[in-house]
Amino acid sequence: MNNSGSDAVMVEDLEKRFGRFVAVDKISFAVKKGEVFGLLGPNGAGKSTTIRMLCGIIAPTSGYGRVAGHDIFSEPEAIKHAIGYMSQKFSLYEDMTPYENIRFYLGVYEVPQEAWKERIEWVLDMARLQDVRYRITRELPPGWRQRLALGCALLHRPEILFLDEPTSGVDPITRRSFWEFINTLAAQGVTVFVTTHYMDEARNCQRLVMINEGKIAAMGSPSEIIAEVFPCRPEADLSDVFIHLMARRGE
Amino acid sequence: MNPVIIKAIARKEFYHLVRDFRSMYLAFMIPLLLILMFGYALSLDVDSVRTVVVDHDKTEVSRDFVRKLNASSYFEITHHLNDSSTAVRYLDQGLTTMAIVIPPEWTEDLKADRTASLQVLIDGSDPNFAGISRGYITAFVEAYNRDRLISFLNRKGMEVIKPPVDGRIRVWFNEDLDSRNFIVPGIIAIIIMIVGAMLTSLVIAREYENGTMETIRSLPVGGGELLLGKAIPYFLIALIDVLVAVFMGQVLFGVVMKSSFSLLVLASTIYISVALSLGLLISIATKSQLVANQMAILITFLPSLLLSNFVFPVGNMPRIFQLLTCIIPATYFIDILNGIYLRGLGIAHLWPSYLVLVGMLIVLSNIGFALLRREGM
Repeated sequence: MNNSGSDAVMVEDLEKRFGRFVAVDKISFAVKKGEVFGLLGPNGAGKSTTIRMLCGIIAPTSGYGRVAGHDIFSEPEAIKHAIGYMSQKFSLYEDMTPYENIRFYLGVYEVPQEAWKERIEWVLDMARLQDVRYRITRELPPGWRQRLALGCALLHRPEILFLDEPTSGVDPITRRSFWEFINTLAAQGVTVFVTTHYMDEARNCQRLVMINEGKIAAMGSPSEIIAEVFPCRPEADLSDVFIHLMARRGE
Repeated sequence: MNPVIIKAIARKEFYHLVRDFRSMYLAFMIPLLLILMFGYALSLDVDSVRTVVVDHDKTEVSRDFVRKLNASSYFEITHHLNDSSTAVRYLDQGLTTMAIVIPPEWTEDLKADRTASLQVLIDGSDPNFAGISRGYITAFVEAYNRDRLISFLNRKGMEVIKPPVDGRIRVWFNEDLDSRNFIVPGIIAIIIMIVGAMLTSLVIAREYENGTMETIRSLPVGGGELLLGKAIPYFLIALIDVLVAVFMGQVLFGVVMKSSFSLLVLASTIYISVALSLGLLISIATKSQLVANQMAILITFLPSLLLSNFVFPVGNMPRIFQLLTCIIPATYFIDILNGIYLRGLGIAHLWPSYLVLVGMLIVLSNIGFALLRREGM
């Protein structure tokens, strides 16, 4: 797994403990550039902890990892410049307008001033927020806020996009168009790393890692995982696998 | 420290501020109210003591005594009563501050060269006021005695004698003993604590409560950039408040500083920074707006008001409180302001207080950084 220069994300024996509680228990995986990669697991499985370690938000307890070519222990700042991160609450500043939120991200990501105008228009077009650019964000429906949060995470043209349960609280139609957009991004060469517990979303990922209680339960493409877990049940789908794996662990 | 990032955060913080009614109220209305309230309502001066007189003697001499009392600007005789029990009722009900009872045969005692006693009752429920009233009446009685003695000796054909010692008392720094002259500098210190510490105690707690702290931690923002960016709007507002307070003190209350304006701006700049770091520190430590606000009131606003030598003189406090005042930033700021406003001192005398404030700023901001670093910033 080492030294593959084409890996956007690579971790080995990554571990995170909070006191005596082991949130992430020595996991290893790699994500290729341009891949849509899913991290699946029930609530409390360690999905958010993993993604936060990869984004340089919290420091791992032990192990090794590189994100966008930078070490997750020693170069969190370089990682933050190279990635975009959207958390499950699409934490925007709700008392500010979309335009003001975008300007904040442009400044913080140190996007050169001369590119601001073009990027602002690009995000507003992409998120279809041109008409509400001066409305207070709080007044916008959740789906619109989600598009804005996604746009803000992409303003600095990151190599890797990290999405932590990006579609929670969003209706199915918005979710579908969200995934269409994610696939477009991936086609442009952006690596997308997404956590979710929706199985229909997981099917959009080229490769998956399923984790439970901080450990990897399965890894591979959706069809590979199904074939591995239920070799004799061709009609089984990802939900069956998920329930099977998580139940087995829980015993 | 990247100025572009700091500017982006400062701009964002400015939007939060102007769109939050509570913050705007705290930033501008409270300082104005404080200046007006303290300046007009809270006067610690005793202009004239409300007095009732019970004259049992009813002679020319006693009436002359009462006339002299009334003529002095320190006493205002509101009622002439017939018996002591009514005077007691007046005191009980707070209708008067002082009751003077002249006993029967007062004049006869005087003439017979016996000591004529005069009963003075003072309402001691406000010790400060009572103390001043007692001083006034003691001085008045002494002066009356002296006058009587001198005129008596003169009548006897003796030479005009002069009192052996004549104390020429002059009050320095605040000639008219006008309490406004030291209240205005005190208000400036309080306002800075409110705007600086109480407002900023909310700003990082707010990020935690809204979940936006998570976003900030995912952004390439350093702890120093975050703190500085957040402090800038509040710094400017606090500085504006100081200038308004100085201006209002001068225009409304005629309180003029004797030393240089630039020294005041320098002191305010440092003290505002101390207040801001204290507020931010509370905010990082508590992570909750409600708790942060309570903490800010408890450890910044109240000590600044009570233990800073502003309203309550530190000299009268128990030793433990006196030591406590040494760690309160407002103590040093008010010391500087008194120097600038009343004593007309320059930096040559005030530098120790400046130095202490700078030291506090360094310590507090470093604790803030350390706490943020522990949070992974």
